[in-house]
Amino acid sequence: MSRLGRIRAEADAGWRSFVRRRTAVFFTFFFPVILIVIFGALVRTDPAGDGLFAEPAGWYIPGYLAVVVLFTPLSRMGSEVARHREGNRFEKLATTPLSRFEWLLAQTVVNAVIIGLAGLLILGLVLALTGAEIAFSALLVPYVVVGVICFCGIGAMLGSYTDSRDGAVAASNTIALPLLFLSETFITLEQLPGWFEPLVNLSPLTYFARGVRAAAYPDATTPAVAGVDPALANLAILTALAVITFALGARSIPRTD
Amino acid sequence: MEAVVEATDLERRYGDTVALAGASLTVGRGEVFGLIGPNGAGKTTLVRALTGTTEPDGGSARVLGEAPADVDRDRLGVLPQDFSPPDRLTARELISYYAGLYDDARDPETVLADVGLADADETWYENLSGGQQRRACVGSILVNDPDVLFLDEPTTGIDPAGRRTIWSLVEELAAGGTTVVLTTHDMAEAEHLADRVGLLADGRIVAQGSPDELVAVHGGASRLTIETTTDVDAFDDLEFPVERAESRRRSTNTDAVVIRDVTPAEIGPVVDYLEARDLEYTGLNWTEPDLEDVYLELADDAERERTARVTQRANAEAANAGETR
Repeated sequence: MSRLGRIRAEADAGWRSFVRRRTAVFFTFFFPVILIVIFGALVRTDPAGDGLFAEPAGWYIPGYLAVVVLFTPLSRMGSEVARHREGNRFEKLATTPLSRFEWLLAQTVVNAVIIGLAGLLILGLVLALTGAEIAFSALLVPYVVVGVICFCGIGAMLGSYTDSRDGAVAASNTIALPLLFLSETFITLEQLPGWFEPLVNLSPLTYFARGVRAAAYPDATTPAVAGVDPALANLAILTALAVITFALGARSIPRTD
Repeated sequence: MEAVVEATDLERRYGDTVALAGASLTVGRGEVFGLIGPNGAGKTTLVRALTGTTEPDGGSARVLGEAPADVDRDRLGVLPQDFSPPDRLTARELISYYAGLYDDARDPETVLADVGLADADETWYENLSGGQQRRACVGSILVNDPDVLFLDEPTTGIDPAGRRTIWSLVEELAAGGTTVVLTTHDMAEAEHLADRVGLLADGRIVAQGSPDELVAVHGGASRLTIETTTDVDAFDDLEFPVERAESRRRSTNTDAVVIRDVTPAEIGPVVDYLEARDLEYTGLNWTEPDLEDVYLELADDAERERTARVTQRANAEAANAGETR
């Protein structure tokens, strides 16, 4: 069996396991919908005002996508790794030809499909509810895929270093919530204290937000990076971060003790 | 004997806890080796050291001529203790999933039939009975037709019929040349399946051999148990007509008196002796020593040694503390 075959077998099992957890499926898609309804339809953005949501609706597209690109891999991977540990599944898998890298890759594929579908739902809802003007760039696809890879790696680390499924979910929420709001997704850099900017630059989600904005919302004035088109440059940075987090995540997956 | 599994002086510590303290064993091709021992004796750690899922601190291990971590995974089958596979896959999907991880896997339908789950193949794992779940787990390690099997308590939670199914499978595999290392708390299982048994206590194999050898050397004497409704104190000063009786003692959990080292021919005279004295009894049970006696004898010895070591260390520490003051 080729590596591809092993990854396919693992991804197939992971996908079936996911779609058979109805509450997980429901809330995976319902969570971003709620957020769009609250921010996009109830609170509404006010480009003329000086409040929290003072940018045009299209500016927030990366934020809405980030809800699933960030939260879903972190919480799913964290709890999946914890679930595997509790059932001694990694000990079993360590004695099969499937490597930790392949296992994480298969789980990432499952997450990418789930998040891809959720992303389409989000874009449709944003268009329908906020009237945002979006440029449908092909770069959105690699951004979502690379973002999922990056956060699956971090999620795997959370699941590996926490001692239970509850701990993994709590840790992922604790990390995801600040990242979601402090990575140029819903809050602009100008709204934050100057000293906070270096911290914003540490967040992988920042490069996702800047790049997606540059690709999907051309009206935004996303700065170039070292003279390179921001849509491509931020994708390159995000890819580099994804390679690192994925490698660390795969390495962190336990075998037994 | 071609050694397929070899461990030499394996050591493994977890902080201050010593899990393995020089465990050694050799298992030949087609042999079933049973590992028995009390909880915490190091059985699971030894299996992990042999399957490459934990790194020993000392000693060495070889499986199929390789270091455990380097063994071709296609040739290995491992059932970890407390293993719980994905619970929302059907039994068929579960077997197919594990089969999908190997180069040359067996037909999942055949594996399902082998473990007696052909009728439950479309039921989610979480909805299978406990015994069926364990059978599915055993099925997951048979998909690659392994040369060496490590089974960590394979029949825990399985009903007697299911246990027999697993036993038959293990016997067939061993007859076909598969080497099996299994841990168990079920002495009947070890006695039934294992060609040789190793008793692990305090991280060391304190005795190993065939069940018969172990029983002969460590099993002690036969026992005649007299169940009675009479006050057992009435039996205290009796001189039973038994030639080699070592001792007699009252059983701790029933109203019964136990006489050790009684031959079958002496049972009749014992009955006559009781009836002549109007001592009523409700049952007589004669048993030969078995592996459980070996286990209790050796595990007790090991526990006594361990307690003595701990006490000695504590006394030494107390003495040192006194000198320091």
